[in-house]
This record gives sequence, C-alpha cells and structure tokens, in this order.
Amino acid sequence: MKPMTTLLVLALGGFIALSAQARDKRDYHETVYDSGCKTCHDQGLKSFPSDESCLQCHDMTKLADQTKREGHDAKQNPHDSMHYGQEAPCMECHGEHTKKHAICMDCHNFDYPKFN
Amino acid sequence: MQTRRSFLKFGVGAAAIGALAPLSVSANSSDVIWDEEHEVVIVGSGFAGLAAAVEAGKLGAKDIVVFEKLGVYGGNSTLNAGQACFADTDLQRKLGIKDSVDLMVQDQLASGRGYASEILLRHSAELGPYVYQLTKDCGCVYRDHIINTGGTSVTRSHQVVERSGAGFIRPMLKTARSYGVKTKTRHKFEGLITTEDGTVLGIKVRKNYQTDHEDSGTLINVRAEKGVLIATGGFAANVAFRQALDPTLGDEVGHTNARGATGDGLIAMLAEGAMPIHLSFIQSGPWASPDEGGFGYGAGFSLYNFPHSIAIDRNTGERFMNETADRKHRADLEIQRRDKDGKPHPALLIAPKHEAQKDPSMDNVLRYNVAWEFDSIEAIAKHFELPLKPFQKQVDDWNKYVKAGEDPQFGKRMNMGTGIYMTAPFIVQRLWPKVHYCQGGIQINTKAEVIAAKNGKPIPNLYAAGEVSGGVHGVSRLGGCSTPDCMAFGVTAARSMMKA
Ligand SMILES: Cc1cc2nc3c(=O)[nH]c(=O)nc-3n(C[C@H](O)[C@H](O)[C@H](O)COP(=O)(O)OP(=O)(O)OC[C@H]3O[C@@H](n4cnc5c(N)ncnc54)[C@H](O)[C@@H]3O)c2cc1C
Repeated sequence: MKPMTTLLVLALGGFIALSAQARDKRDYHETVYDSGCKTCHDQGLKSFPSDESCLQCHDMTKLADQTKREGHDAKQNPHDSMHYGQEAPCMECHGEHTKKHAICMDCHNFDYPKFN
Repeated sequence: MQTRRSFLKFGVGAAAIGALAPLSVSANSSDVIWDEEHEVVIVGSGFAGLAAAVEAGKLGAKDIVVFEKLGVYGGNSTLNAGQACFADTDLQRKLGIKDSVDLMVQDQLASGRGYASEILLRHSAELGPYVYQLTKDCGCVYRDHIINTGGTSVTRSHQVVERSGAGFIRPMLKTARSYGVKTKTRHKFEGLITTEDGTVLGIKVRKNYQTDHEDSGTLINVRAEKGVLIATGGFAANVAFRQALDPTLGDEVGHTNARGATGDGLIAMLAEGAMPIHLSFIQSGPWASPDEGGFGYGAGFSLYNFPHSIAIDRNTGERFMNETADRKHRADLEIQRRDKDGKPHPALLIAPKHEAQKDPSMDNVLRYNVAWEFDSIEAIAKHFELPLKPFQKQVDDWNKYVKAGEDPQFGKRMNMGTGIYMTAPFIVQRLWPKVHYCQGGIQINTKAEVIAAKNGKPIPNLYAAGEVSGGVHGVSRLGGCSTPDCMAFGVTAARSMMKA
C-alpha cells in the first residue's frame, strides 16, 4: 500500500500543478512539455520564463521572415514592427498558459489570421 | 523528486530575497543595502528618458541606466504621431513659413487659458532648434512637409517620415546605446529612496517585472550618484486616478496611451512631498475614432482632413464646431453629441475623397473599418440616419465658404482648405474623443528639478521631465507640442545632473 500512496500523491500533486499552470497548452509545444517545465521556466517554476527562454528554440530573425507581409501590409510584421523592431519580447503578445493578445491590437484592427 | 527538491530550494531562495528587500529600504541611508549603483539613473524610455540618456552620453557620463517597466521600449512616445512643433527652422523657411519662439509661446499660452507657464514654454521653445538638430544627429528623418495641428497661428509641426514617434524612439535608443547607456526592460520603478531630509539617494526597482503581475520579479535598491530622472509619462491608462480628477473621464471614454501610462512616477513623487500641479487638466483627443483601439489610424487621417472637412452632428445634420480649433474646444463639443437617451452618438467627419486620398492613411482607415466611402450626400444621410435637407444645405453652404475663403459659421481659418470643395465621393469617419494627454503632473523648474510642496524649493537629486511634469501647458496642450517639451526637459535634466 505504501508505495501506492506515494505514487498517488505524486501523481495527484503533478496533476494539480499541471492543471493550474499548464492549461491552454499549445499542441506544437508537446515535446517541450515532455522535457519538463524547466525547459522554458529558466528562472524557476514559480517565475515567468525569461525573455530569452523562447529564443532557445525560436530565432527572431527567422520568425520575422516567416511573418513578413508584402505591399500594403509590409509594416505590419509583428516580429519586426515599426514601433518595436525585433525587440518586442515574445511574452508581450504570446502566452503559453494564457490567452494570446497581440500588443498591436491595442491600437489597430489588424487582421492576423492565426491570432485572435 | 529531483524537480521537486530543486523547486523547494528555489522557494527558500526566493523567500530569502523577498525578506531582505523591505528591510534594506529605509529612510536612513546608512541602512540601505545597494544592489546596483549608476552615475545617472533614468526611469522611463520615452522621449524624455531617451533625450536625457543621449544628452548625458554626449556630456560624457560613463554609467547611465534607463529602466523601463514594460517588455517594450518607448511608452507613449513610440505610439506618437511623429509630429513636433519647432519654431523658425530651416524647413519652415524653405516652405515660406514665418515663425518665431515668441509666436510659438503665444499660441501655447492662449491654449493654456491662463494656466500655462510662460517660463517653461519659453525654455522648451528656445531649446527647439537644438532638439531638432539632436534628433537629426541621432538619425531621425523629417518629411518635407509641415503639418497644421490646430490652434496655432502658423503651421509648425514637423513630422518624421514614419509618421510615428517610433521614427524618433528607435534612432534615439540606438544612439543612447552607442554611448554605452544600459537599457533595461521589465524593471519597474517602485519608489524613491531618500534620506530623512528628503535628498534622493536612489530608487527601488522591481527587476524581472511582468506587466500586470505586481509581485513578479524581485526588489532591488539602485543608488544614483548624480541623480534620478523620473520620465514615466502620464496616467491616461489609470481610469480610477483620472476619473477621480475629472468625473467625465470614466470608462465611456477610451484612451490612446501605452499600457504603462498608469502614473507610477507621479504617484511616487507625490508620496515624497513633490508639488502637484494642474492634475485635473486632462486632455482628450478630438480626432479619435471609436471604431478602433488607441490612437490607431483614424487619428492621423482626421488630423490630415480637419482643415478642409466638416464635422457633422448626427441629430441635426449640421456642423457644430470649428474643426481646427484647439483640442479642448473640439473634444468638449464632441462629447456632447448624444442620442435621445444620452448615450454617445459620435459625430461624423466628412472628407472629400479627392483630397483625403492624398493622405497615406486613407488606405488603412478604409481597410480596417475605421472609415467608409460613400458616393453621395444621400447615401451618407441614409446610412447614418441624418436629416437629409439640413445636411445637404450644410454641404452647399460649406462650399460657398470655401469659395469666399471665410467661414462665417465658426470662424475656421480657411487658408489650408483653399479650393478644396466638398464633392462626392466622400470618406466618412466617426469621431469620439479619447483621453490622450495629462497636462498636470509634478512641478518642475527650468532646470528640470522637482519642486517640494512644503517650501517650493527643489528636492535634491530629483528631476522630472516629459508628461509626468505638469504646469507647462496649462488647461490644454497644443498638438505637436509635447515632443519638443519632453525632449527639451530631458536634455535639461541631463545637463543639470552633469553639473550637479
Ligand atoms: C497615440 C499618441 C500620439 C501622440 N502624438 C503626438 C504627436 O504627434 N506630437 C506630440 O507632440 N505629442 C504627441 N503625443 C503626446 C506625446 O507622445 C507624449 O506626451 C509623450 O510621448 C510623453 O513622453 P514621455 O517621455 O514623458 O513618456 P512616455 O513616452 O509615455 O514614456 C514613459 C515610459 O515610462 C514607463 N514607465 C511608467 N511607469 C514606470 C515605472 N514604474 N517603472 C519604469 N518605467 C515606467 C512607461 O512604460 C513608458 O515607457 C501623442 C501621444 C499618444 C499616446
């Protein structure tokens, strides 16, 4: 019985922690979850990840390239904007466990198809 | 288990840091444990903060730090429309515009309605040409066109090509860094550290602060060798604070400001006994659109169009204001446009497309549903339920005023609209004011020193510049006049600190 209880406590503990924090996890981050919370939470589990944390896997220049817009919308690249260049940190707009909110949308009705 | 143990370890560590911080912050300087020390400490990364950083760098300061609480730099300044009033520049002369420091000060005094500070306005207008050159030296590029921002006797608003304050902020940030200025985001200023007699020694900063998570990160004590400049901007985003000061500015009215405009620096200086001035003079922008957040695209579009367009009340189909009067005049009239139940019934700005299309933002306002195109007066009347007859008559009358070069209805200055008749098709935008600028703040003098309320004397080592300072513009600030003010006093604060 004893090992069983320990296991249960561990499992439950893990479940509670995850359910409180890992809600809304993004499917494409599955492998990151497999490697453990500390993969992103480089400043301790109770703290927000550092702004550099996401950049362990994502490259700002490449992201800027991927979200490049042409012609009329050229200035609306969220990863290379007129206001913040490539310096807006990921978590200003993205949240792993929270709703996404693009900072641009504070003032503009931009159409970001993947981002509502 | 591995993870859990290191988690525990972390927990203890964090608790220990947390316990130290409040202890080390005390009125007695010898008790303070300093985590960092810098020669010049600047709080806020907008025009005032960055102008100070650049000037201090030019003056040879070796260790300058700029703390910014958000994850992004620039505050309101990077959202700004990129317009800056300077008097008597080479560009004005090239365009045949005669202007002077005196005229610029006079215009601002009139808009200030007796409350503006002539001394501070003159100080910033006189520094204008220096600031204009300083921004150019940083790499800012101005358009070849000067803008009329309303309430001025001559056209004097110079604009950077980006048509946004980003065109100032990014080159200035780069220049500041080239002087070795340390620029730190996610560092939230939480209060001043002073000796018992009020001299400012340094500040408390929350390092690794995450926006809207007030207890994130850790508190550190930062010592300032030459002084602290508070350049934290205004409080338009703090609804409780602004509504306490002006009951008309509740949730019904949006705002154009950046997320950081919550008045932190102002509130902390008040706590240390600084002199509050004109806090209730809060300005709303009469060019804002209720169909997008913030300043957006509509503001620039209507600013371009006001000189040759008409603003129409939806109940009467008629004009109700001089479309180029100063901001307060227009915003006060706009917010009175109400339906029968007293609910907001935003007025319509009607612009002829043949002229409106000269403004690059027309594409944007149409694309993002901030303005709409109509083929005829009838179509507008039908869509917005305007009484057609008076509306038609108003448009016809307006065209007569254009021809005569005189507006008997509201006395609008007609020279910017010469030959621009109100003919179809039309572009129509809705107008509803948004809280935009805080004229009030903390009192400073021409050295950018912060004044103490109890004796009217400067608080040693404490400086303020930009929107957080008050009393400069009085009741209403003219468009394009904050940029030069913020930068002039940022420059001044740096000079004072380097002399002190
Ligand atoms: C949308 C918009 C358009 C405008 N257009 C014009 C224009 O064209 N011409 C003109 O003259 N004026 C314009 N204005 C007004 C002008 O831009 C502002 O008054 C000016 O930018 C204020 O500069 P600042 O340096 O005082 O403050 P800001 O630029 O607001 O910078 C203050 C910074 O301090 C930070 N901060 C706040 N609290 C803390 C804290 N506790 N710790 C650390 N950092 C903190 C903020 O996050 C912010 O980044 C405009 C304003 C807005 C909002």
